[in-house]
This record gives sequence, structure tokens and C-alpha cells, in this order.
Amino acid sequence: MKIVVCLKQVPATGADKRYTDDLRLDRAAAETIINPLDEYAIEQALRLADAGAVDGVTYLSMGPEQAAEALRRALAMGGDDAILVTDPALAGSDEWATAKVLAAALDKLAPDVALMGMASDDARGSLVPGAVAAIRGLALLSYGAELQVGDGAARVRRLSATGFDWVSAPLPVVASVTDQVGEPRYASLKGIMAAKRKPLETWSLADIGLSSDALRGAALTRVTDARPPEAKPPTERIENLPAAEAATKIADWLSTRKLI
Amino acid sequence: MSAKDILFLAEFSDGKPARSALELATGAAELASASGGQAVALAYGSGASAGAAGLGAQGASRAIVLGDEERPAIGYAPAAIAVARDGGLAFLAPATPNGRDLAAALVGSLDLPAFGPVRAVRVTDGTVETEQATLQGSVITTARPADGAPAPAVILVLANTFTPAEGGSGSADLSQAPAAEASAFDSVTIAESHPAETSVVNLEEATMIVAGGRGVGSEEGFGPLRELAAALGGAVGASRAAADAGWIPYQLQIGQTGKVVKPSLYIGAGISGAIQHRVGMQTAEHVIAINRDPDAPIGEFADLFVVGDLFQIVPALTEEIRRRKGA
Repeated sequence: MKIVVCLKQVPATGADKRYTDDLRLDRAAAETIINPLDEYAIEQALRLADAGAVDGVTYLSMGPEQAAEALRRALAMGGDDAILVTDPALAGSDEWATAKVLAAALDKLAPDVALMGMASDDARGSLVPGAVAAIRGLALLSYGAELQVGDGAARVRRLSATGFDWVSAPLPVVASVTDQVGEPRYASLKGIMAAKRKPLETWSLADIGLSSDALRGAALTRVTDARPPEAKPPTERIENLPAAEAATKIADWLSTRKLI
Repeated sequence: MSAKDILFLAEFSDGKPARSALELATGAAELASASGGQAVALAYGSGASAGAAGLGAQGASRAIVLGDEERPAIGYAPAAIAVARDGGLAFLAPATPNGRDLAAALVGSLDLPAFGPVRAVRVTDGTVETEQATLQGSVITTARPADGAPAPAVILVLANTFTPAEGGSGSADLSQAPAAEASAFDSVTIAESHPAETSVVNLEEATMIVAGGRGVGSEEGFGPLRELAAALGGAVGASRAAADAGWIPYQLQIGQTGKVVKPSLYIGAGISGAIQHRVGMQTAEHVIAINRDPDAPIGEFADLFVVGDLFQIVPALTEEIRRRKGA
């Protein structure tokens, strides 16, 4: 049983972010981390490995060359090896292009489970897992609060309208997990040292059998404008008032805005 | 399907459309009148066949039923793909887990451009243009399909982006989705279902939300928040800290990994306003924060920041609202 965890390097939460003149995120400018939600996918895969339910954990990322740092950090948490798909033709990839590339790399790796975080911190479309499943013609088990594998099938515990369901499909599958799988482990010093010796391969588009023509310039979407959010009026404050008076002021504020 | 038509996903449960279906029907009708096409519902879920024609009240011209069996939403993807293969200008999906799963299946199967979650959509010069808050809300981007990109454009739409039209009497023309090709998505099944004993409101449908965080302190601490929500005609939500503590079900968690809400009014009580929570509610029209800490980060983006003890202020506000509504 083999599992591949897909992860993305993103700007650190709260880091200074800006767009380049051609309206792409300036990924060279910001401090980077593993997308925090992908760390839960890593944790879930490592828990399955710890329990002996899977034999190998491979990491897969697509990004610029410096995304190798994110893969090394993942390898320091655990797992066996990593692949970085990097190619100048991939700059500015949208979700569709990202899914095409990951799907092609996963075809080559052929894992029983391709596991991803539920969303990326920077864009939050959450479409990559489902799009990868569709491209590869595999079942999708999404938004798992827990992933289990065994007996030729995988299943995820997923929130339903009121409680939860166990959603199941025969292997191989594409799955995504939420932050409810458990807190990601820290890399130990030993893990960090060991990670330096773990295999990390770099693949180009040609290595996964894709051409830049097939990726249509790496995007089916075009960003036409990027600007700061509208300035909000300054926050009004109510301080040092007895509760009843504060309540009257809040109610007045709501009335003025026709909210009550 | 005409190349000007606006398709939208309409989820049904027990014959009733989700609020997202009414919102998207209204939005699709608005966009269709700008594009010169029709609003077309892709209806699925229990009772979809019986209820889909009713979306005409919000301006849908046609309703295509994907199926109404009990199954995971992704199981409707093959039928949705069979319909969307036929074209259209845009395909609107709610930015919910089910909506995202179906949207993603379309994007991957038909090589379609993907947008969102968006806070605005318009038709400009015969094409769709979307507006989205990215990078935790630090940047607002406007985007369009690339020149020559296949259609329809798949657009995830945040809740409350459109306000459901009321009082229409129209009826959408009902039809069945064309036969779908066999797909691995058919193999996804609900192996076990564990519904809760008590019902849980769908936060994405609430227009007034009173949310509690770590400062609420306990399960019982949510009592006064529930009273305030009831007085407002709204619902209770929570931060991840409160859900992790077990004070409230995860279905009511607002934030990056919970629900993304866009109510008319959001009141955050005992919530510090961490970025992960903020991305779930930053598009609320009006934000009130009640917090004991005058330096809480939520004070930086609330419209009104009330510094004080939530256990005194929230009950007092509930009483004041009841008094005014009773008058």
C-alpha cells in the first residue's frame, strides 16, 4: 500500500505578499512555508504508516525550484522520498493546470491513495483534489476528518448536515483531509538530519509526458487586476460603559443600518 | 445549451432547495439577462425531481435533474459532466464541500477554467468577470477566462453573494440529464451514516450570525449567544477553538477550515479574530465584536468594537432588541 501526499509551498501566513507587474503572486518575495492545511495530510499519511497500514509515503509538489525546501521539511516529519515537478513553463499555473500536472505525475507514481490538504492557504478554491480525480478517472473521497485504508478500499469520515458519514470507495483513490485529523507533528533534529539523505527527485514537464502546449500557457484563467481591499471606515468603539448603556448604543447602531 | 446560458447547481433535500440554490438561481437569472441566455438549473438530491421546476420563481428558465437518489454529491458528477459538455457561458456552484466536489469534477473532466470562491460575478463584453479576495483577503483580484478557453467557466460562489428573489411565480421547464458515461465517481458510497440527534442549522444560509470563541469558556456559555441569535432571527456560529473544545458541533465552525459565511450581520463574542477565523467571515456586511481585550485583533477589522464582558453585554443586548422588536 503506497500513499503519495501532494503539498504546496505557500507564502507564510501574515507575510508581506505582492503581485508582480504581470499580476502573478511574487513567490520570490515572501517567506514560505508548507501550506498549513497540507501538513494535516502529511500527518494523516504518517499516522497510517506508523500503524503499518501503508508501506511507503512519498511527497509530491509542483512549484519553483525553491519548493524543494518544503519537501525537505516534509521529509523531516517522516516519509520516504519526494518528487518536485518544476518547469519554467509552469509559472503562473492556475488550479486546472496544477491538477493536470499533479495528475500526470501521479499517473507515473501510481499510488493506492493520493492524499491532499482540503485547501491551499493562498487561493482557497479547493478544486485540485477533485480535478485530479476526474483527470485520472479515479474515485474522490474529500474533506475527511479521518482517512482509513484496508481491504482494497479507503474511507473518510466526513461531516454531514448534522453528524457525520463514512464515505467509502475501492482503491485507488484521490482523497483530501481536514484539520480534524490531528495536529501535525514537529520535525525532530534526528528527522531533519535524516531528511537530508532521503531521495528528492526533480521532474520536468517532459518527464511526466506533458507539453506546455497541452497546458495552454499554464492557465485557462487570466487575472486582469489585483488591488488592495477597499479601505473600511475606521472601527467605532464602545468602551467603559455599563452593559445596559452599551446595549442601547449597539441597538441604535443596528437600527441605523436597518438590521433590527 | 446556448453559449450564452448560465448553468447553476441546485442541491435539494427532502424536496426543498438549499438556500444556495435560490441564491444561484437569482444570480444566474441576472447574469443570463446580461448575456442574452437562459438560467439553467442542474438539480440533484432527494426530491429534486419534484422541486426543481419551482426554481422558476427565482428566474430559472430550465431545470435539468441530475438525479434524486441518496448518494454522495460526487456521484452526480457524471450527469453534471454530461450536461456541461454541451456548453454554456458560466457554471455557478456554491462554495460548499459538495459544490466544490462537483465543480472540481467538471474542471478536471472537461478542462474548464475555474474561479473562486468569488464575491461578485458579472457579464462584461459577452464574457464573465469575477472578483475574489485572495491571500487571506490581502488582495482583491479580478479574473476572466483566458482567450480561447473552453466554456462554461466554472465559478464557486460564496453564500449570500446573491439575494434570493421573492414572489416570482414562474416554473422552470423540467428535463432529465442525458445518460452519463460510467465513472469511478459512481463507486463512491456512503458506507455508514451517523446523523446527530438534534438538528444543526446550516450556517451558510443564515443572514445574521452570533459567533462565540474561546472567551465563551464552556458549552453553557453559548446559551446567551443562542438567545441573542434567536432575538435577531439568526444562528449561532463558533471559532475553531470553541469547536475543538467540544462546546459546539463542527458544523457551526466558521473559518478557513469551517464554513465561509457572508451574513448581513456578524457578531463575534469572545473571539480574538485570528486570520484563520477572519477568512471565514471577512465578507460579512456588518461586523460587531464584543471582547474584554481592548487590543484583540478583531478590533482592527470590526465595524463596531464593544470592549467589555460578553456575559453582561450579550444578555443586555438581547433584552434591548426584544424590547424594540416588541414595541
